[in-house]
Amino acid sequence: MTRTRVGLVLFAAMVLATIFAGPLGRYDPLKPDYTARYAPVSAAHPLGTDGLGRDVFARSLAGGRVSLVVALSATALTMLLGCSLGVLAAGVGGATDTVLARFFDALLAFPGFLLILLAVAVLGGGSAQTVMAMGIAGSPLYFRLARSFARSELRSEYVTAARALGASHSRQMLRHAVPNFAGSLLVQGASTAAAFLLVEASLSYLGLGVPLPTPSWGNVLQDARSFLTRQPWAAVGPGLFLAAASLSFQFISDGLREHLDRRG
Amino acid sequence: MTRYLFGQVFSLVLTLWVVLTLVFLAVRALPGDAATIMGGIDSSAASIAEMRQALGLAATLGEQYIGFLGDLVKGDMGDSIRERRPVSAVLLDRVPVTLTLAAMAFVISLVFGLGLGLLAGLRPGGFFDKLTTGFATVALSLPEFWFGFILILVFAVQLGWFPVLGLPPTGLSLRSSWHLLLPAVTLAIPRAAQLARLGRARVLEERSSDYVRTARSKGLSAGSVGRHIASNALPGVVPLLALELGGLLTGTIVVEQVFGLPGLGATLLGGISARDYPVVQGVTILAVAIYVGVNWLADVTQLVADPRLRAPT
Repeated sequence: MTRTRVGLVLFAAMVLATIFAGPLGRYDPLKPDYTARYAPVSAAHPLGTDGLGRDVFARSLAGGRVSLVVALSATALTMLLGCSLGVLAAGVGGATDTVLARFFDALLAFPGFLLILLAVAVLGGGSAQTVMAMGIAGSPLYFRLARSFARSELRSEYVTAARALGASHSRQMLRHAVPNFAGSLLVQGASTAAAFLLVEASLSYLGLGVPLPTPSWGNVLQDARSFLTRQPWAAVGPGLFLAAASLSFQFISDGLREHLDRRG
Repeated sequence: MTRYLFGQVFSLVLTLWVVLTLVFLAVRALPGDAATIMGGIDSSAASIAEMRQALGLAATLGEQYIGFLGDLVKGDMGDSIRERRPVSAVLLDRVPVTLTLAAMAFVISLVFGLGLGLLAGLRPGGFFDKLTTGFATVALSLPEFWFGFILILVFAVQLGWFPVLGLPPTGLSLRSSWHLLLPAVTLAIPRAAQLARLGRARVLEERSSDYVRTARSKGLSAGSVGRHIASNALPGVVPLLALELGGLLTGTIVVEQVFGLPGLGATLLGGISARDYPVVQGVTILAVAIYVGVNWLADVTQLVADPRLRAPT
């Protein structure tokens, strides 16, 4: 339980810091200041400034807000897409099930990152497009999980009992079966969120994710690469923020899993 | 077992066909095409239409699809629009860098990942266990390219052991392959972490089984008990190994960018921005084929390595 608590505290701290950095911060993360280009690390600029004189600390926090929103919305989308179709396939069966399963199998044949990259390219960069691309590319996993959970729950005795009592198809599924495996999917969801944070960073690093000038952890790091030898902290700092956020998701996921195991 | 393998091959072919179709459609759904990109914003509609004709982009989608599949069956991936030579020649130029990089990364992650995992699992709570857990936690919570930054800062800038960027102008050779060591380590870090985690878990699982207790109680040395554990634990790692090996090819996309290497990743990104359909198709098909093929090989390897799986179900 302590792991979950550490995760939640870390996550809350990241959220609060990224939210209040804007109104309370001393520097505008977007406004260039040509008198302060490549300022060294100091009390005024904890991580120095970049080639346009923007405070890297302020940009890291502002970027964190974008990255967290992108990763969390993509996780929500991918779970919604995969789980609802998985439950549908398991519930309806027949041709619908076969077609859906075949389609998601084909998506699984792509190495994950390649699929996301192609999807982003097709949708044409942007934050919303990045969310959609990750949402699509992540869904096969949830489709498979939800489908197999739903199929095995539907065969269990309590669902048979509900059927015998005259519960409708959708009631058997949604009121009886789904609540029994929703927890396991949530555990997976927290670790997907951690993975999506890294994916967003990689995409934006390639210039295909969140477009400039909006900062995100990925494109702040991309920027930092071009003056890496000059301002090493501009690359190290945002990385540490990113690590803290993805660690917090992993801890929450681990904690939830332990909790479910103990109960189960 | 033979029937099982044939069934696998059949579904493999079916999957590949769906994948090819998806790739074909995805590439053509990219906004704009090579003619608009090459023409630039100043060119007239007439000159773009002319260029489209010359580049073979004027055919209908159906004609292009049939041509694409037909050529592919003959082993022809078409010509690169930008470089005006066969895609296979373009790929052949770029494959050595990526393949060398991926092979180096694979060996590094295998040795370090499995080594750490085994050492950690054989002594839970010991030094290697703590090291492995700590390493895996950090390695899996950061994007791999960030480790590339750190490696560049430490080994290229501070110590000056490696060049900061890319290959020498002479290109890839035996003498210049050490330039690929930093990118290879970068690629290997998260993969070694995953292998270490899984290896540790598998060893811990085996440790508590009956045969290990029997082996211990009849007085076998720790070394030979360890060997028994390893030979039972390792087959379980094969599927992850395959996923990892297949994923290496896409992992190189970002890492090549960090170190400025002219590999497949750079080709793919260049192809996407120039709307060079045949090149994007070629790289994607190659990556998917390797990914799917390696995973299939892993299934077979597991059947060979673990007789328990061969039992009819």
